[in-house]
Amino acid sequence: MSMIEVSNLTKDFRKTIKSPGLVGAFKSLIKPKYETFEAVKNLSFEVPKGEILGFIGANGAGKSTTIKMLTGILTPTSGYCRINDKIPQEDRQNYVKDIGVVFGQRTQLWWDLPLRETYSVLKEIYNVPDKDFYKRMDFLNEVLDLNDFITSPVRTLSLGQRMRADIAASLLHNPKVLFLDEPTIGLDVSVKDKIRHAIEQINQEEQTTIILTTHDLGDIELLCNRVFMIDHGQEVFDGTIKQLKNRFGHIREIEFELVNAEDANRLNFSQFGSAIEYSQNEKNVRVKFDSSKVSVPDVIRLTLSQVDVQDISVKDADIEDIVRRIFRKEAAEHD
Amino acid sequence: MTNFLRKYRPFVSAGIEEAIVYRANFLLFALGNTLGAFVTYFLWKAVFQSSTNSSLNGFTFPEMVLYIFLSFFTGILTSSDGSSSVGDEVKDGSIAMRILKPISFTANYFYEEIGSKLIDVGVLAVPLFGGILIYQIVGKGTPVLNLVNLLLYFFSATVAYLINFYFNICFSFTAFFFRNLWGSNVLKNALVIFMSGSLVPLAFFPPVLQNVLKVLPFSSLLYTPVMLYLGKYSAEQTISVLLLQIFWLIFFIFLAKIIWHFAIKHLSIQGG
Repeated sequence: MSMIEVSNLTKDFRKTIKSPGLVGAFKSLIKPKYETFEAVKNLSFEVPKGEILGFIGANGAGKSTTIKMLTGILTPTSGYCRINDKIPQEDRQNYVKDIGVVFGQRTQLWWDLPLRETYSVLKEIYNVPDKDFYKRMDFLNEVLDLNDFITSPVRTLSLGQRMRADIAASLLHNPKVLFLDEPTIGLDVSVKDKIRHAIEQINQEEQTTIILTTHDLGDIELLCNRVFMIDHGQEVFDGTIKQLKNRFGHIREIEFELVNAEDANRLNFSQFGSAIEYSQNEKNVRVKFDSSKVSVPDVIRLTLSQVDVQDISVKDADIEDIVRRIFRKEAAEHD
Repeated sequence: MTNFLRKYRPFVSAGIEEAIVYRANFLLFALGNTLGAFVTYFLWKAVFQSSTNSSLNGFTFPEMVLYIFLSFFTGILTSSDGSSSVGDEVKDGSIAMRILKPISFTANYFYEEIGSKLIDVGVLAVPLFGGILIYQIVGKGTPVLNLVNLLLYFFSATVAYLINFYFNICFSFTAFFFRNLWGSNVLKNALVIFMSGSLVPLAFFPPVLQNVLKVLPFSSLLYTPVMLYLGKYSAEQTISVLLLQIFWLIFFIFLAKIIWHFAIKHLSIQGG
């Protein structure tokens, strides 16, 4: 049985259109114009119990809107989601007992109180028995290192500390489903590691079903069994991370910093044919190519033989890029 | 019931702790308000001095003094901040975090506010109410201190606070539709100050307007408890104004439930 079932989920927003400038502002004050904006279109998917689903897409693709509907704080325009056998919008208080939510951009902690107090408030709200509470707190302390700052008021915590504290807060009542909306945004590598480790451990020990949105391929690679990608509110990919990489991840990018900007004229990649393209900005030359047809060392060797190079950086395709490419390709198919 | 208390008790203490964190802010607020009360006092003093009558619309000067400071104290006692905080939370989207907890939205606000109110009233009650009592005992021609009136006052002020709380909650739910409450809040506050009698006692209005204002919920917010304290009502009037208060309380509790039912569907959480 699936833990999460989403069927034809759609959300339209009505937006006021504002013409630019002061005059425009007045115009829209007197006679507002509206347009309907489809943030999420006909999404359907299922998530079995215990799976970690990576939910990805560019900014504004509709990820957050979907998460908001799944957590019950937005009402869909049409379609439905059923999670843990409940419709979130119908029975809010009952539904939220079994879920945990972290929005990377917001906090559920009491801003002015010491962190510890937030946890005792949550303990009462969720009715967690003493024994379970202490056991959980010990576990969370261990994986997220909360002890250093548990007595500090939340407003004095750093972003990394706050995020760890927020994740702990969402797990205190041992939810069946955990929603993580960009939990690693703006964090340094060591904090990211801790958070990823904690998520992994919770998932393994408690069979928690997790939906994770992120822009960080690292999160996805380490945590997710499955990736669901959307763009402009529509599904563009649903499959394993391996399938995603095989299909779209072979485009690589290398950036060369030249000694002399004029040298760029001497560059000639014609031997690789259409598998490669490059662009130049002053001394920086960016080369993009299909790594299944052209190898990285070949590109570097050829470039070094043609021009003097100061610096080289090799990049992995990022998610934004993959999404863009998927979308472009689909658009091309429609032509 | 004990489960219910256990669930919401932490909010009371959280409210208290938050109020203590911002104590300087609160003391400045109280100071500003006290100054306002004194300005009103001097204004009325001038009015009474320039008049040949010793009483205006049934108020002697000492009664007026009591009215001014008591309505000021009652204003603090019954004030409710729900509408501006719900408005702010809708505006920046942080209301999402409240809705994601398995607790009643209204009760959550209520208990948090009770916590900070305990501190506010505790700090102000001694100097203000003490001052009022001393004035009553020492001052010349002041209304006699009456225990029954005092009890009626506290009962009525408590109901007034509850009405105000639910009224503000109802009002704040409009933020779900308008997304920002600042403008309508200013208008609401101006109307409430005028119609609740906190600016001028309702007895000073023309009779027709007076009769309308007395039935509207606003008089229940402030005028009723203050007039009860001053002993301005007969036994029958006392019962009828208290019943009216209770009617408005029940009215707003139900209205809040109904509006919530519709508003939650309209909520759009702003921001990522």
